[in-house]
Amino acid sequence: MYAIEALSLSKRFGNIQALSGVDFTVNEGETFGFLGPNGAGKTTTIRILTGISAPTEGTARIFGRDIVRDTIAARRQMGIVHETSNIYTDLSAWQNLMFTAELYNVSRKDREKRGSDLLELFGLSERRDDKTNGFSKGMKRRLTLAMGLINHPRLLFLDEPTSGLDVQSNLIIRDVIRELNKTGVTVFLTTHNIEEANLACDRVAIINRGHIAAIDSPERLKHTIRSVQSIEVAFEPVSLVRVDDLEQIPRVSEVRKQGDKFRLITEDPPGVLDGVMEYAKDHHIRVISVNTLGPSLEDVFIRLTGLDIRTKGVKTVD
Amino acid sequence: MTDLEDQCGQVCTELHAAWAIAKKDIRIYYLKPNMIVSGMLFPLFMFLAFAVGRPADPTVMIPGLIAITILFSASSIEPVSIPIERRMKTFDRLLSAPISLHTVVLGESMSGFLYSLGIAFVPLIAGILLFQTPVIGIAPLVAGLLLTSFCFATMGTLFAAYPTESPGDIMSMLNLVRLPLIFVSGIFIPLDQIPQIGHFITYLSPLTYGNDLIHAAFAGDTHFNPIVDIVMLLFFILVFQLVANRLYKKFNE
Repeated sequence: MYAIEALSLSKRFGNIQALSGVDFTVNEGETFGFLGPNGAGKTTTIRILTGISAPTEGTARIFGRDIVRDTIAARRQMGIVHETSNIYTDLSAWQNLMFTAELYNVSRKDREKRGSDLLELFGLSERRDDKTNGFSKGMKRRLTLAMGLINHPRLLFLDEPTSGLDVQSNLIIRDVIRELNKTGVTVFLTTHNIEEANLACDRVAIINRGHIAAIDSPERLKHTIRSVQSIEVAFEPVSLVRVDDLEQIPRVSEVRKQGDKFRLITEDPPGVLDGVMEYAKDHHIRVISVNTLGPSLEDVFIRLTGLDIRTKGVKTVD
Repeated sequence: MTDLEDQCGQVCTELHAAWAIAKKDIRIYYLKPNMIVSGMLFPLFMFLAFAVGRPADPTVMIPGLIAITILFSASSIEPVSIPIERRMKTFDRLLSAPISLHTVVLGESMSGFLYSLGIAFVPLIAGILLFQTPVIGIAPLVAGLLLTSFCFATMGTLFAAYPTESPGDIMSMLNLVRLPLIFVSGIFIPLDQIPQIGHFITYLSPLTYGNDLIHAAFAGDTHFNPIVDIVMLLFFILVFQLVANRLYKKFNE
């Protein structure tokens, strides 16, 4: 049985077609990434899968239960961590957890044990009875995740779980997601952090303008655009290096300055390397490090969504 | 487990969740300053503005004060709490929980209901102790307090369905309804003195039936039969609940 089946999901708001025939399945125990630019249909898809909104056409099933006709039974299987840390700031951490547990019909004994365990897991035990309006952003996020887990969900929806967090909270949350996956919990992860999806997900779907543009494992998606290879070069002194000059090297299609390094996009890394050495010699510059890089998941994302967000504003590349 | 047992289990689960929502509102919103102003002070000053200096029979004045207090206090919690929760995105928690939309509406209404029941005891006790106005009918008093409170709490939840993050937007719309209700429901002008032409509006006001029922508890007589008052209040509760449920569904698409 699939954890999620989305079959020909469409959603129309007046004249706007937000989703068009979205089809995908998520296997039980899988960590599934759902990527897309703003306005691509991610939130609409999540609202349908969690039963908040009904599709105009199509069906969605959670562990075999139709989300429209059997909403409550389907929701009992899931935990939801919304994009915003939507906790009640006038309540304590403990009261927030217990309230959520009551909404999910978790028995008193179980919710008290589970609540204590989760506060311990997320490093919030010492602040258990404090009102959460004094919590940091990271603590609020950790509590939101704990609330999403209070009912022992088989499927966890995570919407931007680590966006803008401190290092400690980031590490705790990533660690918990990894551990959940080991125990068989299915994770549906929406994120703008493509590297996070690359590291955490078994498969990713890229949605663009209401259509699924691609679904596969991160590595297989990267293989589909092998042409986007690159070499990363560090020069000394860096102040003498000009991007315009590097773009003149034969077979370089694009140059991106990344910190003190330069990334030269090419289909022929060895050929470009000769050109880089020649350029350095001609300009009396030393090459202090060189790395050859394959396409990243971010490159796949940019190629499939037609966006280049790293250069001047947003531009279409396809 | 039989279907009946299964359904009973589901009903208990839903009621438990509704109570959890009400408890949450009690903890968070009861002592908010705008709650105290709109739920307690506003009805008191409204009443003083229209009743002081007029020769009024306490058996008319006290039920009227109780009815106005219930109208304003019961319908004030949700128009404040729900827009705030929309802004904080906590309302999404309720919408995505494994409970029906009816339970969300019921839970939200319960907090307004309990709030107004508590507040209604202030004019009730003041009437008994300060104005020596004894209660001569416990049954109409209990029915009047419970049904009127729940009716206006549900009305507050219905208005709060309007998809805004600002409590002021809902309060403005709500006052457009609440303020006229005071004048057409037999509180300041007895029902039998209202011109014939105004009767149609009077009969459309749930406050008319609530006030009539509470009046029966103090004066012993009613304009309508108490059974009619009870049936009409139940009818308004049902209509408000169903319309609220429909609007929350529509506006959250």
